[in-house]
Amino acid sequence: MSESLDTSVDLGGIRLRNPVLTASGTFGYGVELAPFLDLRRIGGFVAKSLTLEPRAGNPPPRIAETPSGMLNAISLENVGVESFIRDKLPALPEGVTVIASVFETEIERYAEVCKRLTGVPRVAGIEVNASCPHVKSGGIEFGQQPQVLAELVRATRRATALPLLVKLSPNVTDIAAMARVCEAEGASAISLINAVQALDVDIETRRPVLSNVLGGLSGPAIRPIALRMVWQAARAVRIPVCGIGGIASAEDAIKFLLCGATAVQVGTANYLNPAAAGEIADGIAAYAVRHGFGRVADLRGALKLPGR
Amino acid sequence: MADREAPQTPRSEAKPGAGVGSHTGLPRPLRVDAEVLENRSEGGENLRLRLRVPGWPGFLPGQFVMLSPGARTTVERTDPLLPRPMAIFRTQPVSGGAEVEILYRRVGRGTRLLAETLPGQRLRVVGPLGRPFETPAPGERALLVAGGTGIASVYELAARSHGVGRVEVLLGARTGADLMGEGDFAALGVALHIATEDGSRGVRGLVTQLLESALAEPGAARVYTCGPRAMMERVARLAAASGRPCVVSLENHMACGFGVCLGCAAPLAAGGFALVCRDGPAFEAGDIAWGALP
Repeated sequence: MSESLDTSVDLGGIRLRNPVLTASGTFGYGVELAPFLDLRRIGGFVAKSLTLEPRAGNPPPRIAETPSGMLNAISLENVGVESFIRDKLPALPEGVTVIASVFETEIERYAEVCKRLTGVPRVAGIEVNASCPHVKSGGIEFGQQPQVLAELVRATRRATALPLLVKLSPNVTDIAAMARVCEAEGASAISLINAVQALDVDIETRRPVLSNVLGGLSGPAIRPIALRMVWQAARAVRIPVCGIGGIASAEDAIKFLLCGATAVQVGTANYLNPAAAGEIADGIAAYAVRHGFGRVADLRGALKLPGR
Repeated sequence: MADREAPQTPRSEAKPGAGVGSHTGLPRPLRVDAEVLENRSEGGENLRLRLRVPGWPGFLPGQFVMLSPGARTTVERTDPLLPRPMAIFRTQPVSGGAEVEILYRRVGRGTRLLAETLPGQRLRVVGPLGRPFETPAPGERALLVAGGTGIASVYELAARSHGVGRVEVLLGARTGADLMGEGDFAALGVALHIATEDGSRGVRGLVTQLLESALAEPGAARVYTCGPRAMMERVARLAAASGRPCVVSLENHMACGFGVCLGCAAPLAAGGFALVCRDGPAFEAGDIAWGALP
């Protein structure tokens, strides 16, 4: 690797060593992956989403394999924000960038979790997961309704001075509009896409494969959809975009950067290869050198469109 | 010959059962590409896979590895996507690592691709993972009850316990051709009892009938079991009815194997869930809410 290459990026006020993060819910609280990957090799990680209180998840079956992907319906299972601060953060080695993730069922509770995370020394930023069902809207995701999303971003923005990322749901008609809502309400950055709502059934038992019936589709199967949405969102806003969706290799990650992402998150690929994120970071750097970029940050939006 | 490599840490530090998972005191797992040395049919749909795993840290009975579903190439395979959890049958130390043996059954897309893997090709190995069985105390009577692919999970327990506890192995399968590892158990010299549903090998019937006879003998005993869910539930019930402790090794589906996908949740009798990969796969049978286990 060229020593002169600057691999760092700025994701809405979070300075990252390189543009590779790992996605919430695929990397535990960090320590689980430590035997396989030096966590300082990657830009950072987004921890498992937190609620105010510890929560148990859905009954099994919670996961199922699908073509080039998987379905999951884990629900809100997590240790709760207090245990995260008390037990999980101190277990991490120094020099690891941690972004906390928050999900809840009511806006007030989202804001309260954000407040609790503010001022905690190891937390570099907060990602608000807008793909949770909003109880007051009858279970429609926060991120599916522009007004509700606006309220959520406004309330969480008020609750914390930390860099605030909003993770968008792909289950919408106009992702650019959702991106603009986040920008207008003061989000520091947006990350997308979350898992795509999906269904699979077992024809022998005539049952859905998941106990929850519906699940979230992730993995390489959703990557071209994710890339399209990242491109659309990145053109719609000035705040940085973090690309997520089926990234399993450096080549995949570079596509997201070229389409306007400042950073990426590796998700499902961590399951097959717990060192994937480190390898992807190295591969991006090698590509930047090979293509004469002095800074990895300059890959952002370097896509050549027809006729330009 | 059973693997006699010393575990990295005293066995007493690694206890089975549900609880807050910790890898403290367990061999540090690794992620590595391993060369296939042998991958041959054992009759029926059963196969035996032998891998050369560089840097292998040793393992404890009941631990498992995640294996890529088929040979690795320069491009990551995405379909099927997920690695498959496989019990570590036994290992043999070699220079710079170990030969790791896996017994498995061709049942779906992943294992069919695994069955097509040729010597010289490579598989990704992540492991050893999970918390091990607690081995029997000196002189303790241990009844190891296994069926189907669950047989592979108890071999190392039998090998390391033989001569320490009084080990009796009860194996079940639908047919003699489905029975895996019989010769390996026989070679250990443990007391071995076989049941097949069609009577083509051993006694005709279910392995749980063998267990009923074994439990009818007086005295303390501990039951260990791994196999189809219905079999394990029946074993657990029989053990409980006879007042003997029972350890089960669960075989839930999982995507990662190291506690982050949360896909392998097993419902607990006390409420909530344990992760089979992190808190198990070995559990006290009474801790599991069998009715809610898929």
